Amino acid sequence: MTRNGNTNRVLAVLTLLFSGLAVAFALRLWGRPVVLPPIPLVDPIFTNTATARVSLGLLLQTHGDTSDYDCYTCHDKKEPVKLKLDDQGNVVLPKEHSDLVMGHGSHNRNNNCYNCHDESNLEALQTRDGRHPKLAESSPLCGSCHGPTYDDWEAGAHGRISGYWDRKLGPFVRQNCVACHDPHKPAFPPRAPAPGPHLLHPIAQAAPPQERNP
Amino acid sequence: MAYPPQSPAGAPTPGGEGQSRRSFLRTSAVFASGLAALAASLAPLRHLEDYTSLELFMQKYYKELTPEEMAKVLQRIEREVERQYGVRPHVRDLKPMNGVEFAYAHNLTRCIGCRKCVHACVAENNQSRTPEIQYIRVLRMPHGTLDVDKSEHHYDPKLVPEKGYFYMPVQCQQCKNPPCVKVCPVHATWQETDGITVIDYDWCIGCRYCEAACPYWARRFNWTKPSIPKDRLNPDMAYLGNRPRRQGVMEKCHFCIQRTRAGRYPACLEVCPTGARKFGNVLDPNSEVAYILRTKRVFIQLKEDLGTSPRFFYYFDV
Amino acid sequence: MRKMVHDYRVFLWRCLRLAFAGDWRYYAWMGFLTVFCLLGLNAYAKQFVQGLVVTGMCDQVSWGVYIANFTFLVGVAAAAVMLVIPVYIYDNEELHDLVIFGELLAVAAILMCLAFVTVDLGRPDRFWHLIPGLGQFNFPASMLSWDVIVLNGYLLLNIHICGYLLYSRYQNRRPARWFYIPFVFIAIGWAVSIHTVTAFLYVGLGGRPFWNSSIVGPRFLASAFTAGPALIILALQIIRRVTDYRITDRALLTLRSIVQVSMLINVFLLLNEVFKEFYSGNLHVASSRYLYVGLEGHHALVPWIWTAITFNIVAMFLLVLPVSRSLRWLNLTCVLAFVGIWIEKGMGLVIPGFIPTPLGEMVEYSPTLNETLVCFGIWAFGLLAYTIFLRMAVPILQGRVCKANESGPVLPPRVRQPNAAAATP
Repeated sequence: MTRNGNTNRVLAVLTLLFSGLAVAFALRLWGRPVVLPPIPLVDPIFTNTATARVSLGLLLQTHGDTSDYDCYTCHDKKEPVKLKLDDQGNVVLPKEHSDLVMGHGSHNRNNNCYNCHDESNLEALQTRDGRHPKLAESSPLCGSCHGPTYDDWEAGAHGRISGYWDRKLGPFVRQNCVACHDPHKPAFPPRAPAPGPHLLHPIAQAAPPQERNP
Repeated sequence: MAYPPQSPAGAPTPGGEGQSRRSFLRTSAVFASGLAALAASLAPLRHLEDYTSLELFMQKYYKELTPEEMAKVLQRIEREVERQYGVRPHVRDLKPMNGVEFAYAHNLTRCIGCRKCVHACVAENNQSRTPEIQYIRVLRMPHGTLDVDKSEHHYDPKLVPEKGYFYMPVQCQQCKNPPCVKVCPVHATWQETDGITVIDYDWCIGCRYCEAACPYWARRFNWTKPSIPKDRLNPDMAYLGNRPRRQGVMEKCHFCIQRTRAGRYPACLEVCPTGARKFGNVLDPNSEVAYILRTKRVFIQLKEDLGTSPRFFYYFDV
Repeated sequence: MRKMVHDYRVFLWRCLRLAFAGDWRYYAWMGFLTVFCLLGLNAYAKQFVQGLVVTGMCDQVSWGVYIANFTFLVGVAAAAVMLVIPVYIYDNEELHDLVIFGELLAVAAILMCLAFVTVDLGRPDRFWHLIPGLGQFNFPASMLSWDVIVLNGYLLLNIHICGYLLYSRYQNRRPARWFYIPFVFIAIGWAVSIHTVTAFLYVGLGGRPFWNSSIVGPRFLASAFTAGPALIILALQIIRRVTDYRITDRALLTLRSIVQVSMLINVFLLLNEVFKEFYSGNLHVASSRYLYVGLEGHHALVPWIWTAITFNIVAMFLLVLPVSRSLRWLNLTCVLAFVGIWIEKGMGLVIPGFIPTPLGEMVEYSPTLNETLVCFGIWAFGLLAYTIFLRMAVPILQGRVCKANESGPVLPPRVRQPNAAAATP
């Protein structure tokens, strides 16, 4: 009889347990759906394909304001501009040109405006071998000093390209040097990075990062 | 009910009819409550919406679809995307081009670690925003090493590049000898003749063996239903490319199949502000990548010792 | 022919009814397991709807406790063979009937393995893509396709051997040797293969140096042949306690010597691995460092692995010392060995392979409640299956349930066996 009694007790407990489970499942007492914290959408500036700077070539293409490049609204065509130099031999820029930074090359070897600009025609450039490219077509001038880089650029290995890799299927655009490099200060400027990656389970992100900025 | 109305101990029940009826009732109660618990335990399945459809469930393997069947599949996908996002996409099944083998070259000298490629890729390829899926991971590496264990993924300075570091974006390397393809138990991922390793998102079973096999951590899994804001959907889609994925399948970089097989450059390349990314047909001697591999003195296949032979090369100017 | 089918159906029907007959302890145990099965099923239903995001896994650690348990249980299944070898190769009579208990354990373990793989799939609805002929089966390139074949093959082999032997006993006939002995020998080779193939799942991944090491295969076998027989010893002790089935001490001690040798080999191989990783100190040591001492402030696995190592070493000493000839100490030793190897092979093998990632990112993993419930559910399901198998097998082996008493009650009353008392010392 005790055995039977035990069995009955066990069955009763199981009935209760199963019913309890059924209710718990129905009420979803635990394990509610995981809600992932929404990750902010990235700012569209990080997905646009704009070049690092606005060059004259781009302004001409987009019919932008090119008045900055009309040298002879201020200068006199007949009177070549004399360069003012300080004691160290650096060019002293007039206040009209204070937006320029003379930073092309190190050791002040390239601080003479007429290394590139044509003193007889300010709206043109000049190379050492006597060519006079237009302001908007400056790349060959850059290439006259930066030979290997120019080779790379011509082959498409330096600088930006967009459009069609398959030239049979469509056009491609190769950016000029000045689309990225300021000719007066050619180093590529630092910029703010786009947001970094997020982990799937954000709690884990609270763990200390493996390496700190020095 | 298979339950025998008899004493569990096996001995004949003492007490006769009444006892055995009571015992029957008790066991019935256990079974009834057990079944109720079973039914209730499956209650979460009520929220199973848009998990699959008969059409999708029965769909044949990519390589076995006839052109007519493929046309129907593409229509199904367009219908599904339109229902979900309110945008009618244009989904194509682009095949590899003859005489084309793609290669990627990345200029470590030029990369500044701005992560624009990461986000252009997300936008182009309809990757989930929450949870976040990104195909490109940019590693900040201390000068003088290529040991990825020394890298930092979560760098967040005001400005990049930072002094003392270089930056190395890693994405699918489109290996010539891909470990991920080898391990897939159902052929859901394979290498095409143009060198792109693709995934049939409608065939993948989600075992994640490829994710474990990839030495470049290039594969991503849809841990839950992906979410893309409607206004950020890119409607120019390809079957093996950027069409929206479902929960529970793998995805990864496919060199922007929807662009590159139509002759265009990939999105990560076009957005790169420094022009550090180069792409093209390595079989064409006039292509940028062919030029780079021909003229640059040092270029690197990441983890070359593994014999995977990536089609993604890192190189330096100078 | 019709009679054969009819007889077999009656046999199956009786077995099924046996599964529901038992005393209160049996009901309590089965009810207890059912509760966990239901909890697991409920947790899996949630995972099915929301996806694997409800687990602790992520792209950085893309396999977790599911695959860890799978790996461990393949070993348990493979270890059934350690009972078969003494019986069929060395004619050890003590273990003869116990082989069936071992093989039934293998069947239950394989069922659990299949369940663990299924819950790990992102798209379980596409399971049919794995079926050769129907889907696309990447054989022989993918080690996972090998695993599908060897696991299912092993399941069928063991079901056949146990089923046939039990049915013969039920009919009180001598089993036809040609109908099972060849399968027994195939199963011996096959058992080694299931665990080797499962090891190769990991070993074959060149991009994960922690796994890409030739010692993983042998270590898998050594640890399996420790944990499996240890579990069988414990199971037999329980069978001895709760039924009047006669199991001799000598049988248990034979198993003890198997566990003893395997544990020694296992610890030796572990030592080899640790030496190779740490002495040479090359860059590939990162995962091992993370596992054993922690890396860059992350050390979630360190307490686990040292628990495992302590358990294994204590178990090893106990096994070598004569003290484990006492059955009580043997039980303790087996529990230690089993738990130690479960940790070492589950968490200790699978998880560190992912940390750091191949790109050097450190993301740690710990299972969620939902994931844990699914695991409990599957273990409960496996124990439920094994209990039912034993419930059927024990009375048949004892001769209490046989063809001769088909018209009687489901479980005829006990026949007092003259030597039943000898079973318990």
